[in-house]
Amino acid sequence: MKAIHGRHVRTAALVMLGACLAAPLFAQAPDEPAAPSAELPRLPDGTPDLQGLWLKSTGSFQGLFIGSLDGTNFAAPAGGRGRGGGPAPREYPYTPEALREKEYRRQNRYLDPEARCHIPGVPRALDQPAALYPVYIIQDENYVALLHEAMHDVRIIPTDNSPHPENYWAWNGDSRGRWEGDTFVVDVSNFNGRTWLDMEGNFVDHNEHVLERFTLLDSETILYEATVTDPTVFVEPVEFRFTLKRVPADQQILEYSCLEGERSLQHYTEEDGGPRERVR
Amino acid sequence: MRTAQAMRLVGAPAAVAVIVTVVAGIPATTVPTAAQEASRTTPFVPPRLWDGRTPDFRGIWQVRGTAHVNLEGHPGRDGIAASESIVVDPPDGRIPYRPEALAQREENFRTRATADPSSKCYQAGVPRATYVPTPLQILQSPGNLAIVYQENHAFRVFYPDTRPHFEAADFWMGDTRYRWEGDTLVADVVALTDQLWLDQAGNYHSTDFHVVERYRMTGPDTIVYEARMDDPVVYARPWTIRVVLGRVTEPGARIIEDECLEDENGVRRHISPYDPANLLITDYSRWRQPVEQ
Repeated sequence: MKAIHGRHVRTAALVMLGACLAAPLFAQAPDEPAAPSAELPRLPDGTPDLQGLWLKSTGSFQGLFIGSLDGTNFAAPAGGRGRGGGPAPREYPYTPEALREKEYRRQNRYLDPEARCHIPGVPRALDQPAALYPVYIIQDENYVALLHEAMHDVRIIPTDNSPHPENYWAWNGDSRGRWEGDTFVVDVSNFNGRTWLDMEGNFVDHNEHVLERFTLLDSETILYEATVTDPTVFVEPVEFRFTLKRVPADQQILEYSCLEGERSLQHYTEEDGGPRERVR
Repeated sequence: MRTAQAMRLVGAPAAVAVIVTVVAGIPATTVPTAAQEASRTTPFVPPRLWDGRTPDFRGIWQVRGTAHVNLEGHPGRDGIAASESIVVDPPDGRIPYRPEALAQREENFRTRATADPSSKCYQAGVPRATYVPTPLQILQSPGNLAIVYQENHAFRVFYPDTRPHFEAADFWMGDTRYRWEGDTLVADVVALTDQLWLDQAGNYHSTDFHVVERYRMTGPDTIVYEARMDDPVVYARPWTIRVVLGRVTEPGARIIEDECLEDENGVRRHISPYDPANLLITDYSRWRQPVEQ
């Protein structure tokens, strides 16, 4: 993954990795959400308080590359070079045509829009490599805002369950949220059809629709679930499920100046299919 | 004089109700009203967050002027209103460059069409992100404060000044620590990269740049924003700018996604999420097997 974009972000990554070592952030996602607890921190309106700095603690990210400028991949066995490590590749239920499109993209991974520092989209913004890029959540009675360190990506989600706009197409789509009991449910639509799901060519198109569920299990843990449907890409819904763990209060979100550093494409090598001189 | 002009804008909600996507000039001839005169002597008391204590600055805000073209003022041109300098200290409205630092500013000005980092869709930095002609949103809850800037989807998380700055790196949006002085939000910003410019005219700073921002509500829909800037490498003395942030009051107004796409020449250009050209419809027909006869 594009962890390192010059010394600035290298510092950020090291700080956040330090946070991981200092706290038990690698717990597995529980099979079932815990029953709603009266012990949860809450806002005055009674909604669970999701605020603070969170880090994905379990992961399904594909083609993981936690790298440095010299090509070291911390995710590979024995800190080797190139790809490796991370979870086993995930199979998505593509339509026959979309599967061939995915194979084309996998053979041309340098086309990954994140390699050009574009907004990752949903759920990729949260489905980053585990324990690497945190998300800062601020909420009030009118919105839940997600401030992602990766790509300085932002979603300010209104909680009034208002309708999606017409004629609006975005990398992040359009998010409208509501509280269902203690779970924050977000309906995401209006995608611009440009985002990938990972670095391995898995993708969605403009017909993507996401239903996300953020459930505060306890003061230290958010269960994140997303159901992605896309009738022109998948033959059935795709589920994402992982946990976010609270980052210790003495840690802070840093800056991921990807585009400004122009350093992301270096993590895509010749094997990613790109004549590198074509890539900006 | 400059103080007087800034005060004229204060508390003029009708004039400050801006349309998000429209860049308009400041009507510099607005006459102060009695209410505005009174506001000089009776400070506005902002509403509070639900803790009953923290001043509530939440909302979408935007500077209406054209200071982003040149902080020191500039003549009007096609679609861009003329602007007086927003430098309120020193009184002459000029940035107090060290003599040896002026050549770089002039070089920047000459090459500004391509050298301005903002023209490359980079984050704008501090304080430039405040007075670019796009809105920002202040997010707040007791103990949390952040500003999201529409331009290039930048954001800053404000941390209380009870914790030290993180200065081990240079950032495009700096490292911010804040405190409340009465009802004024005071933010101390360091660790800004020297790749940033302050405006389209090439005004600049080094990595020794230090900004103290002051946000003060002067009415329900106005924040007076001041930034005192120091940089011993580039400037002979500290200097201060002042602009007015007006609340964006259109129903349903929100920060929209601002992302750039590369054109056919590889140049990044902002593209609106309302522009159908932003929508990519993948054609899968190329993968279809030919029908056998």
